[in-house]
Amino acid sequence: MVERAPVARSPIAPAPPTTIEYGWEISARSSDAELKITDCTPLAKVLVLAPMYGELARALGVPFGRAARDTHGTLVVGSGPGEWLLLAAPGTNQAVGKRVEVVQDEGLVSVFDATHGRALIRITGPRTPDLLAKVCAIDFADEVTPDGAAFRSSVAKLVTDVVRDDSGGARSYLLHCERSSGQYLFDALIDAGDEFGIEVDGFVDPGDRGV
Amino acid sequence: MILLPCPYCGPRNVSEFRYVGEVSERPDPNETGVEEWRTFLYTRNNPVGWTTETWFHSAGCRQHLIAERHTMTNEVRASRLPEAQLPEGQEERATGGNVAGDGGGAIY
Ligand SMILES: [Zn+2]
Repeated sequence: MVERAPVARSPIAPAPPTTIEYGWEISARSSDAELKITDCTPLAKVLVLAPMYGELARALGVPFGRAARDTHGTLVVGSGPGEWLLLAAPGTNQAVGKRVEVVQDEGLVSVFDATHGRALIRITGPRTPDLLAKVCAIDFADEVTPDGAAFRSSVAKLVTDVVRDDSGGARSYLLHCERSSGQYLFDALIDAGDEFGIEVDGFVDPGDRGV
Repeated sequence: MILLPCPYCGPRNVSEFRYVGEVSERPDPNETGVEEWRTFLYTRNNPVGWTTETWFHSAGCRQHLIAERHTMTNEVRASRLPEAQLPEGQEERATGGNVAGDGGGAIY
């Protein structure tokens, strides 16, 4: 019998042509449009709940409302009071979880691998604030939500974690939601971005950059 | 539109919140009578004017908060975290929306 490795699938249908990379079925499409949308669901997603001002919070080093990369390239997002979302390269979920678990904290700590339970979308381009302004009531001006800002709010009427994470000087946002709403959010963003010429771009492992 | 200032997230559209109800004092179940218990469960003041109520920020930080709201104008003059929710050793956390300076909280 031939042994086959299981293939993970995003809740968002990959735009053809598709390929299998990092153990995930992904879109092999490449776009050089100014405004791009990418399904980043293959990234490792680890949720951490811990006291807001405890040892683990200090070790993570990112307060609620902010996001920053640690020395391993993991994007640490302060997604709620005493709540963090860690985003890392595909397949690293266990390693990321273990790094958090070894930190001693007096309070109750919960570490949860949500890689296959959530959807993650990245939109990139100078018009992303205009796109988001159509579906979210938060002010996307630089003074209010600069690079590294993180918050949870309603996006297209869906509870979504939004992270401003500029990439190579280009304005970029990560949007994180429940897996079952992933396709809806993807479609809603494409619908809102249509007038700005949004195009689907396939997922590529960011490599050394981490996420 | 009602704008509610969340102590953690700042001012947000009321559609992000779930209304919990008027803040009232829970009587000690061992000391109270049927009448008083019934009043606690079912009777509300429902004033025309200022009232203190609990809201839940379901589409944001997922925390409960106390807001003082004018029922005629929907003006909110204060919001704070319930005492039971304050991190140990921390004073009452109240804000008009900007909590950027205290090492935690959103920046808008
Ligand atoms: Zn909030």
